[in-house]
Amino acid sequence: MSVAEMAGAGDVAVVVAPLAVEGLVMAYDGAPVIDGLDLAVPAGSFTVVVGPNGCGKSTLLRAFARTMRPRAGRVLLDGEPITGLRGKEVARRIALLPQSPIAPEAITVGDLVARGRYPHQGLLRQWSAQDARAVEAALAATETVELRDRLVSSLSGGQRQRVWLAMALAQDTELLLLDEPTTFLDIAHQYEMLGLCSRLHTQGRTLVAVLHDLNQAARFATHLVVMAEGAVVAQGPPSDIITAELVEAVFGLPARIIPDPVTGTPLVVPAVA
Amino acid sequence: MRGPKAGATTGPTTDGPTTASGTVTARAGTQRVVQLGGGRARGPWLAVVVHPRPVLVCLVFLALAAVAALATLAVGELGISLAELPGVFAGHGTRAQEWALFTSRLPRLGVAVLAGAAFAVAGAIFQSVTRNPLGSPDVIGLGAGAAAGAAAAALVWPGFVSTPVGALLGAFLAITVVYLGTGRGFAAPHRMVVVGIAVGAMSLAFVQLALVRASRESAQEVALWLTGSLAARATGHVVVIGVALAVLLPAALALTRTMQLAEMGDDLATGVGVPVRASRTLAVVVAVLLTGAAVSVCGPIAFVALTAPQIARRLTRSSGPGMVAAACCGAVLLVVADLVAQYALPGIIFPVGVVTAGLGGIYLAFLLVREWKRVAV
Repeated sequence: MSVAEMAGAGDVAVVVAPLAVEGLVMAYDGAPVIDGLDLAVPAGSFTVVVGPNGCGKSTLLRAFARTMRPRAGRVLLDGEPITGLRGKEVARRIALLPQSPIAPEAITVGDLVARGRYPHQGLLRQWSAQDARAVEAALAATETVELRDRLVSSLSGGQRQRVWLAMALAQDTELLLLDEPTTFLDIAHQYEMLGLCSRLHTQGRTLVAVLHDLNQAARFATHLVVMAEGAVVAQGPPSDIITAELVEAVFGLPARIIPDPVTGTPLVVPAVA
Repeated sequence: MRGPKAGATTGPTTDGPTTASGTVTARAGTQRVVQLGGGRARGPWLAVVVHPRPVLVCLVFLALAAVAALATLAVGELGISLAELPGVFAGHGTRAQEWALFTSRLPRLGVAVLAGAAFAVAGAIFQSVTRNPLGSPDVIGLGAGAAAGAAAAALVWPGFVSTPVGALLGAFLAITVVYLGTGRGFAAPHRMVVVGIAVGAMSLAFVQLALVRASRESAQEVALWLTGSLAARATGHVVVIGVALAVLLPAALALTRTMQLAEMGDDLATGVGVPVRASRTLAVVVAVLLTGAAVSVCGPIAFVALTAPQIARRLTRSSGPGMVAAACCGAVLLVVADLVAQYALPGIIFPVGVVTAGLGGIYLAFLLVREWKRVAV
């Protein structure tokens, strides 16, 4: 049984994982950052990948997003090798919110979000009623409808991140990849962004996010993947896998785990003073 | 979701008459969608997004180009009044008038319009690829590489290839060195500019060497060509650049959308399904061919490629490389610069390259100062 099939074990029959890697080897110039990784994203999950700096979590997301080519191994989309699919075909099924996209000068929110429709369009058929509906839905889902005619350059950081998310949503995909979506936001906007992601998950999308903050990951993830040195150390529902031993082993941080007083999810409290 | 009508505050919605041809039927952001043909089931075969402002700007450019074109045809030592012009066209002018119009001025005008457009589109492509207004072919060594190729063909190893072919080879050699020199191909915009400046400097050194070593007559001839000139153009020149544009401009238009997305970052472009590396390489090849074709008919006229796309972009307030607007702007710039070169100082005729270099130099200085300020802040 392949990794992709295992993800569905326990569900009805065998469900193929929407996104999986098999024997993945990822390397920049020197030694591999990830060396022979198997991982399957459960269908319908909000999967969050965490780990210390340099553990390979962002590199794993790059493999999923096709922004970096694996040195060996395969990335599987619904069980099919992703390399066999055309770029636009993949982009109709996976959307990516990259870490630092560049907003063009003098572009309005509406025009920016509309660019997310590219994979659904042709050389000569560049706009359709379906495109208009998807853009409306994306603006509504991210509460950016009233920003439509504003210039992206005039927006605050939190608004801008919601607009980028809207562009990814306009792609109208089952899967959404988020590369540290909270990095440049203040704490209130971090929770706003994660709450938004959580809603998108509840509405039926499968999300894969890389996050820095373990407590935010524990609060919002339905499936947590903990990585260290290019390998998966633990994965599962946060409340099942987060232990003091794990945090100590992976992050080198002595900690106590208590139930989050708001959500009941595990809360990591550093035991250093 | 509020349904498709939510955004259509000023126009009819996409549910409008899709069977009609040439109708503006939808609103996408601030833009309009022009649709052609097709039934309700299959949808239109053509649905192009059009912004009103760039269309207006292009019309203004075309009007200016028409005025400048009339001036180019009518003004001169042998003046042909505007009233006479249609008559001369129809073959009712004097022999001298017909010679001036058909042999001298029309080819000159044709080369100016088409080469101006070609330079400008090449500039728009390079500025988009490098994500930098400084990243035009003039600055990143393509023009200088073409000049070096031309000098090599004409002076150093004469008889191997013609001067224009030498220019094209030089341009390709220069861009190859830039590609290899960045270490990451065309995926490193800033490095492209830096390496390109170095390649340009080395190419110019080679040109100087070739000129110094050549005999005086041939050196003078090549030196004039290297400045860029529209004097004594023939119909053959118009055909060369016309054919090049006819093939390459549609290619540039087809690449516009992928280039817009690539400007937003390689990761984002890949995410929406753009084959970033392939389309970028294709765009660079189109730009090099356009530059090569233009250089081969009128020499490496400086700074049209640098200025025209930026002027067009500012005026259209567009958020991407607008190929058509850039082409119109380049045509206007070169025709007007040629008028200035011929008539600004009575009795002195400059090569047009001197005028564009002078004006473009001022603009380049402005750009550099702005970049410095941005870095300093």
